[in-house]
Amino acid sequence: MEILSTAVGWLLGLGSSLIVMIVLIILGLLFRVGWQKAVRGGITAGVGLAGLFLVVNVIIGALQPAVAEMATRFGLTKTIVDVNWADAGIAWGWPGVAGLIVLLLVVNILMVVLKLTKTLWTDVWSYWHGSALAGFVWAATDGNVLLGILAGVLYLVIGGLMSDMTAKKYQEFNDMPGIGVPCGTTVQASLFAIPVVWLLDRIPGLKDWDASPEGIKKRFGLIGEPAVLGFVLGVIIGIFAYGTGEGDLGLTKILGLGMNVAVMMVILPRMVSIIAEGIVPITMSIVQYMRERFKDREIYVAVDCAVLLGHPAVMASTIILFPLLVFLAAILPGVQMLPIASLAVIPFWAGAVVPYTRGNVIKTVIVIMLYSIPFMYFSTMLVDSQTEAYRMMGQFTELIDQGLKLGSWDMGGDILGFFIRIFFNLFG
Amino acid sequence: MGKLIVVACGAGINTSTIAEDSIQERMVQEGFADVEVKRILMADIDGYVGRTDLVLIVSMMKIFRTFDVPVIQGMPFLIGSQDEKNVLLDKIVDIVKNV
Repeated sequence: MEILSTAVGWLLGLGSSLIVMIVLIILGLLFRVGWQKAVRGGITAGVGLAGLFLVVNVIIGALQPAVAEMATRFGLTKTIVDVNWADAGIAWGWPGVAGLIVLLLVVNILMVVLKLTKTLWTDVWSYWHGSALAGFVWAATDGNVLLGILAGVLYLVIGGLMSDMTAKKYQEFNDMPGIGVPCGTTVQASLFAIPVVWLLDRIPGLKDWDASPEGIKKRFGLIGEPAVLGFVLGVIIGIFAYGTGEGDLGLTKILGLGMNVAVMMVILPRMVSIIAEGIVPITMSIVQYMRERFKDREIYVAVDCAVLLGHPAVMASTIILFPLLVFLAAILPGVQMLPIASLAVIPFWAGAVVPYTRGNVIKTVIVIMLYSIPFMYFSTMLVDSQTEAYRMMGQFTELIDQGLKLGSWDMGGDILGFFIRIFFNLFG
Repeated sequence: MGKLIVVACGAGINTSTIAEDSIQERMVQEGFADVEVKRILMADIDGYVGRTDLVLIVSMMKIFRTFDVPVIQGMPFLIGSQDEKNVLLDKIVDIVKNV
């Protein structure tokens, strides 16, 4: 135990970029990707992680004063800053990530051998959902790495079982035999959709109500562009925060906030993709290994939820949902975070829901609106341990000490994650 | 003139990166110096379809429309065995050679 805590202390001292670099180089060598690819992958991911936190720094600097201003002016306590996929930075940079990856692989292989699951958990990138959750638990339990790892593995194992339940439907709807999608909040959206769609199909009038995806895309498609969406949201928040500012100063601040939020919406996912790039060699090596071992069985090979986004109803529903969800979060009492960066997860939820609504835009919108409500509350309720995880990793420490709170829907508001966190926090 | 292969996925984060990696590696092996492999969001595809250097679209999702250039479904890059990947890569090499 002492060795473990010494190792953790040493790792933390290095900072998260170097943690992910070292972890990926070691895992790369372990999974035989070749030392050149291992080194390149490790450094690339470290670069992505550093870039991710740079962007988050910019957005905190721009958004935090604005939401604070709104709070003093209107008593609007929407003061949590939405950083959404910055959680991927926790996921790959917290000290237990290597242990989590190895343990999950061992547990998954055992479960496949024992025929407890058909899902081969090969998509290493998507481990980040479980690993971020693990980081939150680690932070909530005063730095207990083991509890963090167990919580994260439990989350991912349940995700795999959910993938077993949804795989056939995904495969048929998207013409992709052999895949499964065990990704966190996405696969949960499918399971959530099943009873809701059943109910909607029994409401007269609603049953056959639909909207044309092409029409929506043509008229409102612009709002689906991350840069445009970010700019518009930034300006709206800016108007509330600085609307009566003196002369040009108000306008400058409003437009400046718009641009900053647009920067975040465009650059944040790019940085995340650089981290993902570093993990690719390991993923490919694991896929090959697992495919060889289990080639005579019916298995579902885990892939990223991005493969579900093909249907036109996905983008159409997403465009309608953007303003609806921001409005909903603004008016719901007790919800303390306005979704901005978190809106990036909506297309993935839509991709998971459309196979169940058979591509019906209206039903998809209704399902996701209902689905998002627990995310709004859970992300507010557990924001402290999430923020603490950033602080313990040495990110934004000064601002956090001054009261800054960082939240997200994906993973901060995750429904399954909420119950796992509550359970594991009992041991803290 | 150079030739462009776009690898399109829903988020441009993970799945397209995996396919891009495999294709890039093969292009280098074949010695195709003038082939660019670019990963993009499927939502941005319209910015590329008009380009005269575009020779192939590799999609990581099901596609619900048609294009003037060949489209290859890239799922084997994610879940396929090495043999399945090679079949796909041979096909891509063929297309690039014959343009």
